[in-house]
Amino acid sequence: MTTLEQKPVKSERRNDLWSNLLVKVGKNQDRQAYHQLFEHFGPQIKYYAMANGMANHAEELVQEVFVSIWRRSCLYDWRKAAASTWIFTIARNQRIDMLRKMKRISAEISVETEDLWQIPGDHENEPFTSLHRLMSERRVRESLSLLPEEQTTVIAKVYMESKSHQMVADELRIPLGTVKSRVRLALNKLKVILQDQNK
Amino acid sequence: MTRHHPEGTSLMEFSAGTLSDPHALCIRLHLEKCPLCCSRVDTLESLGAVMLEQQPLNELSEPAALIFDAILARIDSDTVLLEAPRRRQDLIKKLLGCDINDLPWKRQLGDVSMLDVTDRFPGQTERVVLQKLSSGGKAPAHTHRGTETTIVLQGAFSDQNGIFNQWDFAVLDESDNHRPVAVGHEDCITLSVLSAPLKLTGAFTRLLNPFMS
Repeated sequence: MTTLEQKPVKSERRNDLWSNLLVKVGKNQDRQAYHQLFEHFGPQIKYYAMANGMANHAEELVQEVFVSIWRRSCLYDWRKAAASTWIFTIARNQRIDMLRKMKRISAEISVETEDLWQIPGDHENEPFTSLHRLMSERRVRESLSLLPEEQTTVIAKVYMESKSHQMVADELRIPLGTVKSRVRLALNKLKVILQDQNK
Repeated sequence: MTRHHPEGTSLMEFSAGTLSDPHALCIRLHLEKCPLCCSRVDTLESLGAVMLEQQPLNELSEPAALIFDAILARIDSDTVLLEAPRRRQDLIKKLLGCDINDLPWKRQLGDVSMLDVTDRFPGQTERVVLQKLSSGGKAPAHTHRGTETTIVLQGAFSDQNGIFNQWDFAVLDESDNHRPVAVGHEDCITLSVLSAPLKLTGAFTRLLNPFMS
């Protein structure tokens, strides 16, 4: 197994490229743009599935996510979320849906995945839209590089492996309180908490 | 305006999609009315996207070349090409099939009525209950063995932690011995997710506690 060189952290301008491509897909059903999105995000989604222990269903998840991206692209609004954030929320929801189907409980559930976990811009009259969303990704990317490894390790397990803080604590054999305090320190650095308190 | 918010750690678990459906429902109901927590979740969803883009991908993460063709074949055969925006809906009504005030409430102790709605969430282990405290009523003092996550759906209650209005969020655990009182003119209705049974602490201990069976 050869590990490819780690890609450099993309700048905001670079990130705009993906949002522009997604807008093209939404407006013109542009298949070339769609293919470029697939080349970039396809491997990320497959990685996400495998990190979630869904290796046998990884390519199925990639398919479901991309079909969903195509169908929803007309609702995508670059002012509400960067393409990568929007696609992450779709991947998260498709993963949850797939787990529901595997457990064969989806038919009995009265509240759908997307009632609980929304995709930015999917709902009409979204009550709260702000520039905050646009700032989010760049700020997060900048702050993340400043976090100590023990904090990013915990965050990666939560987002990539979908583990609760309790599960992360069990796996790392550290108290739940330690996991939570690492998360809180990271959130402070990421201004998720601090900035809001100053409002 | 809501004054009691979910913790940042819970919002992170929510944004990563790791919370159970009942817990996610509590957070979602709060988000519907709280711009502050919405913007936090926006940031946290971006955090998920940035974490994902920074993972070391390798050749195993490359989808097979055939996958894209399969995707194109699927979208070509799609009958519903494009999705319409989703309508906002009353999630509680959708879950219960009726208005919360029309439910078959079961009177428990004194001013408290309850309805167990765990069966609306198949495939998970937590207990989910709606509780109603009559206007001006007092609940028996109790502590919690595990944690209890509560969101106020109607009215307001107060306890030693303050006043909790509609859409406020409360998390209680073993260390909280509380005795909520419904304040205001309406009955106070809450939705609670319990990880373990609660325990009565006051004069009501003799009585059968629905949570302790």
